[in-house]
Amino acid sequence: MIFAAQLVFAGICVGAVYALIALGLNLTFWATRTMNFAQGSLMMLCAVIAVGVLSGGFNIYLGLFAGLALTGIIAAATEAIAIRPIAHLTGSMGWVVTTLGVGIFLQGFVSKFFGSQALAFPSFLFSARDYVSVFGIRLSAQYMIILAIAVLLVLLFELFLKRTAWGRALQAVAADQDLAAVMGIPVRVVVTLSFIASGVLAGVAGVLVAQITGTVDAAFGFNLLISGFVAAVIGGMGSTWGALLGGIFLGIMEKLVGGYISTAAEQGIAFALLMVMLAVRPEGLLGEKEFVKV
Amino acid sequence: MNTFRRLMGRVLGQSLLALAIVVALWFGAGLTDRGTVQLLSFLMLNILLAQSINLLTGIAGQISLGHAGFFAVGAYVAGVLTKTHGVAVPLAMVIAIAASALIGWLLAIPAGRVREIYLAMMTTGFGLLCFEIAKEWSVTGGVVGLSGIASPTLRSLQVFGWMVDTVDLFRVMLVATAIVLVLMRNFVQSHHGRSFFAVQASEIAAGSIGIARGQVKRRAYAISGAMAGLAGALYAHLVGYLGPDSFTITRSVEVLVMAIVGGMGTIIGPILGAALFTWLPERLQIFAEYQFMVYGLILMLIFLVMRRGIAGAITEPTRFIAPRAMKRRPDDAGKPVTLQAESNAPQNRPALLEVHDLGRNFAGLVALDGVSLALRPGQITALIGPNGSGKSTLVNVVSGIYDPSRGRIVLGGDDIGGEADHAIARRGLIRTFQDPRLVPCFTVRENILLGGQRHFRSSMLAAALHFPSTLREEIAMVRRAEYVMELAGLGAVADQPIESLPYGYRRLVEVGRAIMADPVVVLLDEPAAGLSEAELGRLAAMIRYLRDAGKAVLLIEHHMDFVNDIVDDVVVLDSGREIYRGHMQGMRANPAVRAAYLGVSQDCHA
Repeated sequence: MIFAAQLVFAGICVGAVYALIALGLNLTFWATRTMNFAQGSLMMLCAVIAVGVLSGGFNIYLGLFAGLALTGIIAAATEAIAIRPIAHLTGSMGWVVTTLGVGIFLQGFVSKFFGSQALAFPSFLFSARDYVSVFGIRLSAQYMIILAIAVLLVLLFELFLKRTAWGRALQAVAADQDLAAVMGIPVRVVVTLSFIASGVLAGVAGVLVAQITGTVDAAFGFNLLISGFVAAVIGGMGSTWGALLGGIFLGIMEKLVGGYISTAAEQGIAFALLMVMLAVRPEGLLGEKEFVKV
Repeated sequence: MNTFRRLMGRVLGQSLLALAIVVALWFGAGLTDRGTVQLLSFLMLNILLAQSINLLTGIAGQISLGHAGFFAVGAYVAGVLTKTHGVAVPLAMVIAIAASALIGWLLAIPAGRVREIYLAMMTTGFGLLCFEIAKEWSVTGGVVGLSGIASPTLRSLQVFGWMVDTVDLFRVMLVATAIVLVLMRNFVQSHHGRSFFAVQASEIAAGSIGIARGQVKRRAYAISGAMAGLAGALYAHLVGYLGPDSFTITRSVEVLVMAIVGGMGTIIGPILGAALFTWLPERLQIFAEYQFMVYGLILMLIFLVMRRGIAGAITEPTRFIAPRAMKRRPDDAGKPVTLQAESNAPQNRPALLEVHDLGRNFAGLVALDGVSLALRPGQITALIGPNGSGKSTLVNVVSGIYDPSRGRIVLGGDDIGGEADHAIARRGLIRTFQDPRLVPCFTVRENILLGGQRHFRSSMLAAALHFPSTLREEIAMVRRAEYVMELAGLGAVADQPIESLPYGYRRLVEVGRAIMADPVVVLLDEPAAGLSEAELGRLAAMIRYLRDAGKAVLLIEHHMDFVNDIVDDVVVLDSGREIYRGHMQGMRANPAVRAAYLGVSQDCHA
């Protein structure tokens, strides 16, 4: 029982990070109906830069700041270089391929200049050994703080979206870009800001995951990207609460399967859930069915 | 430049040249060193892989970012069967191909339901999953991998008692690749290949001419899987060792890069791409060092720099009609289709399509509210009404794109309500769209020919093997297309890609495609919009042709003069309901119609 509870707790924490990744994907999906395939590499890049700055003898927080700033800038640049210029091309081949290119490039860059071996990521939020005991269940302090950060960000995001002018502008752009432009909303600025925010969210998620795993390497992001996407799909594409729900559900499932069946099977869970979800309820748990206009 | 491309197209299209290259490689391999033979063997693998993704992504339009998965399935099935279970090499190879085809077919079931980012993520997930399984499963040897698979380097590859050395294996791969390429070319230049392209261009439009999109996707995934599986099985015996690191996402990206840089949607492109990226890392140290970054940059910039790849830059695009069907003597030019003369007056003939009390809601919004219609052979009925009155919804429901919320749709005596759009099209109900939906890279001729889809009978195997019956069928259809183009006045632009032609042509081509389908009932959704005076004349001739051929025609149109000239009967819709039915003259005077269009209340009308 205690084992199960610990698995569920770990699942919730990991799932909250998946929700952050999903949120980053949702943001660009709203703004441009596209998704940044480089998001996984941005997660990796932020953690690697933090490690790099630290090993250069500087403070870890300076490293985190540098990492987040850079991922934000790169995400915005991705939109400018890889998405906007080819928006006129029909079909999805365009931006999927170009943003994948950005991701591959970043991955290649890191493995070339930081080595393809895993880098140790320092514990900066408590140590991996600290824990809090609740009803006899040992809850890792690190996991708890990660859960807190992730949930706080999701809440802040939902507040921002519903309560601020920029949030409403983003919703307007999501609903109809042309109409939003006609109504005087600076669509370009909204889109760029969304990409910056999605890059920063990816960076935060990357650092949090690296904190749990303790290492980071060049290939670190792709599996996470899929997990984040699956979280978004389970919850319903574009829904903030759905992302949180989907992320936590995925996290718990993964940990339970990993704990009771085999850690090898853990890897397949995200994919299996994606298949089931798309087959049974493609609009997600909290999403609404869209009619295709012919 | 254009002359150069045409010249290149003619040179590269020569089967003699292809044969000469195969023969040269066959004998050349015996004369050169082992390193070169090894490199050429990898070239064959890369050609197979690049063509495999080309068929799925470039031709059927289903993006694949997990192609290493199929490659892995083929490689491990062949490796495990021969090494662990002692199965004979040729049998293991056949099983490996079948297994990866099956995996592709199964993947198509969920993947066929989704598009764009979902599909991209799903295929990425598939690739990663295959990698993880290879890494974790004991059968595949886990991280350590599977070594000691029968191969020429270990001098252990025996087939029917014959010891296969490196050169022999290369020759086997050469012949296998050549056969796959020939089959693929034949397949692409048949109605099967055209249906793949139609699904890529627009799934809705493909359905409207009777192409079952789910079936097309399952076929595309299965064939593509089989090709990659063949490459995998050959790879297993070429290197003798399989480790999970050969099947990472890097491999999937590499395959994608080869096909895109070479030129997707052509036959020659992926061959050129495979050649380039087999040779570059071998011969250019700097490239090998920065390989991954270079792949990233290429994917980032390819659409800006060279959208159609190398093939698009140096040669003419591949065409999608069997060249032999196009080569015919001038004396057997298309003959007009003989028309069935009906003795009854149109009003007395039994209706071909009957719609009873049809309704359709969209989450509370009532778009159609109890509409009834009867379309008779040889009669043109106009359907008019203000914007949002439900005209297009009616066409969408009748053609099977939306399910009806209530009511019955009877076509030729059968209730077709709720049937899939492609099944309805196959029954002979053909529609056109408000915005013409054609295959942009197809020529006018190819687009018109697409209309004939529901009449083709050749199997995929017959198409790939170029059976005489397939060719006869293709010739007959090409002739019919010729006749339709003449009717539509499109003969002069027959071989121009549709994307290079002005808007009016697209409309005429779409109506021509509908005529080509030899339908029972035709629904035309605003065919006259945006046409010039001359084009209107041709359109009218085409619609009259349909009427004279005994088809039932429903014409949605805002262009009143055009409607006035050709229709027999008119039905007016407003807010999803019928408000008038009868002659044109009566309609103009009808108070309800005037109110709907002009917004005057009926009492004010004098």
